[in-house]
Amino acid sequence: MSASAAQKVDPAHATLWARHYPGHDMIGTRTFGFWLYMLTDAMVYAALFATLGVLSHVVNLAGGPSPSAFINPVYAYGETITLFLSVLIYGYSMVALKNGNRGGVIGSMFVAMLLGVIYLVIAGIDIGNMFAHGVTPQVSGFLSIFFTVIIYHALHILVGVVWMLVMMVQIAREGFSANVVYRLINLRLFWHFQAVIWVFVFTFVYLQGMVA
Amino acid sequence: MLVHLQGPWTPLLGRLTLQQIPYHVPILVVTFIVVAILAAVVLAATTYFGKWGYLWREWLTTVDHKKIGVMYILLGLVMLLRGFADALMIRTQQAMAVGPSSPGYMGAVHGYLTPFHLGQIFTAHGLIMIVFAATPLLVGLMNIIVPLQIGARDMAYPYLNALGLWLTTAGAALVMVSLFVGNFAHGGWYGFVPYFELPYSPGVGVDYWMWTFQLAAIGTSLGSINLIATIVKMRAPGMTWMRMPMFTWASLSTNLIALTSFPVLMVALALLGLDRYVGTHFYTSGMGGNLMLYNDLFWVWGHPEVYFLILPAFGIMSEIIPTFSEKTLFGYVTMVIASFAIGGVSWGVWLHHFFTMAAAPSVNSFYSVTTMLVGIPTGVKVFNWIFTMYRGRVRYELPMLWALLALFLLLVGGMTGMMNAFASNDYMWHNGLFVVAHFHMMVLVIAASIFGAVEYWFPKVFGFKLEQKWGKWFFWFMILGTGWTFVPMFLLGFGGMTRRLDYIHYTQWSPYLHIMLIGMVFYVIAVLFFVAHLYVSLRDRAENRSGADAWGTGRSLEWATHSPVPAYNFAITPHINALDEWAWRKENGLTELHPGNYEGIHMPKSTGVPFFLGILFMGLSFALIWRIWWLALVCVALIVALIIIRSFDRDTDMTIPAHEVEQVESGARDGTSENLPTAGVLGGTVIAHSVPQSGTGGINGSTTSTSPAWAPMDR
Amino acid sequence: MTEHMQNPLNHPEVQLANGRAYLASFIISMLLMTVGLWLAVAHITTPFGTVLMTSFLAGVVVIIQGYFILHMDISHAQMWHTVAMVLFLPLFVVTIGLTAWMFHGLYQRTMIMPPAASSMAHVPSMPH
Repeated sequence: MSASAAQKVDPAHATLWARHYPGHDMIGTRTFGFWLYMLTDAMVYAALFATLGVLSHVVNLAGGPSPSAFINPVYAYGETITLFLSVLIYGYSMVALKNGNRGGVIGSMFVAMLLGVIYLVIAGIDIGNMFAHGVTPQVSGFLSIFFTVIIYHALHILVGVVWMLVMMVQIAREGFSANVVYRLINLRLFWHFQAVIWVFVFTFVYLQGMVA
Repeated sequence: MLVHLQGPWTPLLGRLTLQQIPYHVPILVVTFIVVAILAAVVLAATTYFGKWGYLWREWLTTVDHKKIGVMYILLGLVMLLRGFADALMIRTQQAMAVGPSSPGYMGAVHGYLTPFHLGQIFTAHGLIMIVFAATPLLVGLMNIIVPLQIGARDMAYPYLNALGLWLTTAGAALVMVSLFVGNFAHGGWYGFVPYFELPYSPGVGVDYWMWTFQLAAIGTSLGSINLIATIVKMRAPGMTWMRMPMFTWASLSTNLIALTSFPVLMVALALLGLDRYVGTHFYTSGMGGNLMLYNDLFWVWGHPEVYFLILPAFGIMSEIIPTFSEKTLFGYVTMVIASFAIGGVSWGVWLHHFFTMAAAPSVNSFYSVTTMLVGIPTGVKVFNWIFTMYRGRVRYELPMLWALLALFLLLVGGMTGMMNAFASNDYMWHNGLFVVAHFHMMVLVIAASIFGAVEYWFPKVFGFKLEQKWGKWFFWFMILGTGWTFVPMFLLGFGGMTRRLDYIHYTQWSPYLHIMLIGMVFYVIAVLFFVAHLYVSLRDRAENRSGADAWGTGRSLEWATHSPVPAYNFAITPHINALDEWAWRKENGLTELHPGNYEGIHMPKSTGVPFFLGILFMGLSFALIWRIWWLALVCVALIVALIIIRSFDRDTDMTIPAHEVEQVESGARDGTSENLPTAGVLGGTVIAHSVPQSGTGGINGSTTSTSPAWAPMDR
Repeated sequence: MTEHMQNPLNHPEVQLANGRAYLASFIISMLLMTVGLWLAVAHITTPFGTVLMTSFLAGVVVIIQGYFILHMDISHAQMWHTVAMVLFLPLFVVTIGLTAWMFHGLYQRTMIMPPAASSMAHVPSMPH
């Protein structure tokens, strides 16, 4: 990375054309681009958490229920267990990929996907309960952001589940082609990132909500 | 749905009724007739010349970054014209509606535009100019030039590139549709709450604004990922970071800004959307909403956005000025640092857009200081450009004229910006015309750079230079227009005139407003000169043929390939040995551009999927605007299905065989002003499947590459 | 670099999958999150103290996860991923932090707090 002056190339012996250039690293480029996308998603979460911070004043409750009244720690913890477990199992799927083990990849991914579905069921029950008790996003500014964060996160899990389904079909069909491999790595980045995001959601929405 | 909507709603058509078509507004009726006639002419001409197949194959389904860039620029130019039309209407209204005795026409009490109509015009003007004119123009330029400057064959994600284009186009199309079906938002382009909430904007206007904005935001976000990945991962061998051209550095910095800030815009808009569609209370007045939250989130995006627009303009200037001074750019390293310093600092200044919104004095002071800090790297750039010119062999060709105009406007705009940076000053003239004049100066820097860039790189893309005479008339009348329009605006700002007025009470402001109208006349004449400029250039293209190094003194890598650029960019990927590689090669006599011994080249195939996704997204947005839920669901399902189906497509690449590369290379002349057999834009723009010799229309069957006739879903 | 063209499984980003790291991350994350939950449910300390401690625990977990499951290191394959993340981190801090500072000052200046304005827990009725 030094300035060009320090790397003067002798014109008489310079290489002008990169013959037989194998091209850029397609997989590395695509996973890098996807990682950039994940970071923009993280920025969305940052904006949502900023909003959460702003709308956590008592005025934003608008006389409605405060989180300590309606947050059910059992469901939140259940979601934590299922999600972290799913992330772990998907990790094992990637280890199977490293070893080229098609059955292992599909099998682990299937389990990870099921756990994702269980997460969605738990979230659905939890949110359903809240709605049934009149705790809805239309009640107050605070509840608006509360539900937006947890539903936005649940949407990611849904997308991940669908993606895993599609990947299982693609692996069965194509095997480990370059396209399938980079998509699996992208899915790993996506899915594992959900664990990181969940730590923030669990801590700042649920745990700190419980003691607000 | 979950919110109380004013007006009728049916399950089949949502809020769409015949009353939503404004056939009682004469201006819109006339506009529609003109647009319909123009569209009919274009469609008829395309059919008459039998060009539908060509259009589909070469343009609508392309994933070639150069063609996508050209389409972006075309879109930007069309929307620039639309935005200019809006500006003309604003200026005319304000010139007419001064004083209590000014007459009113066409239903307006004063002037000829009702407040409701004018509101939509200035809202559309702002949104269009920023998001649908400036952004596509700059993104188009970056698309074309960056891969060429780094020696790559295409961008990192060619398919995503096309998708970004079609999403942006869908957004622009929807803005145009809002003219004739429904109306547009009428509270200013940044959409302040609670005015943009449902109780105060019960119509579909804000929904149009919101969804077109989101479409453009998605398009730009995808584009930013693409450009960053390309620059980081796809540079040619030997191109270390410190050998990258300045425009590429600027593109990297600018797209980092876009990457980091657009998500926040999407959140700001999405939360407003939730308020309007679901009945949440993010920004409502009452029920626990917070009005300032919208401003905060919006301007977190809004400020980096303007730096996203200006940095490529600086990059363009950094390319043009060295070329026409025949000197390497002064202070390359400091220029690079300054680009990133501007980007970084720009992330910490956003509150200066709402100094007056009751933040604590310490907060205001902090943001004042950071805003002033941005001036330092900008100043570094200005001095470096000047030092580049010093003792250079300066040629005042058109691109250089534009770059120098941009530099001058930057001084005016930048210094008035510094005046605005003081919170105490801003308290006096917030929401006044002084701020408006300041940012129009900055936007004109961008416009001047864009025109300079178009002049500069046109020969590279199309193989012939634009003519000079009408171009210079265009240039001078743009200056006249700028001076006559914006100097009075600064003065009016000092006088206390506020923004967005449809009626001006103080008749002593009348002379200024009339002078500004004269300025607009100059702009109109300038536009006519621009049209003449293009027409004469096209007509005389055979005489203005250019070779690889169109200006003779090009310094960066894009001048080391033929004009127009072949589909694969470089027959053999170049190996980079120095900063300003092409200048280095010329100095050392290494200018041979036909290295021989070509191999097959692996390229992505065209695909119609991005185009169809664009249409589906447009349909989805339209359905959401008009609350036609069944249509929205159908579009979502189709979008998801199309994306998934496309991912199962294994046949997405092709190889251009070596003998065809050989053919293209031998056909490409690199000298200037030679009469080539097929002089012409249509056949010879970018040679994807055709060879620049008359007679051979396309790739003939003996290859493994694309077949000309194909169904869109095969790709 | 060319081997990837032949066999994508040899790509460094595939090869960096590490079962032990994933398991370690899972165990530590579960542990610390459970501790956090216990702190909140059992009301071990003041609300502010709980906020501080759970935030701290979250920070630790995220760093661990970043290293073990996101592979944020400075190896050649992952360098740019890490650089990109490092670029974004200050922006997260700026977005949330400056917003919080802004609104904290605003609230102090504009929110007139009624005397009994602590928790408004049991008021489920919502005026519409």
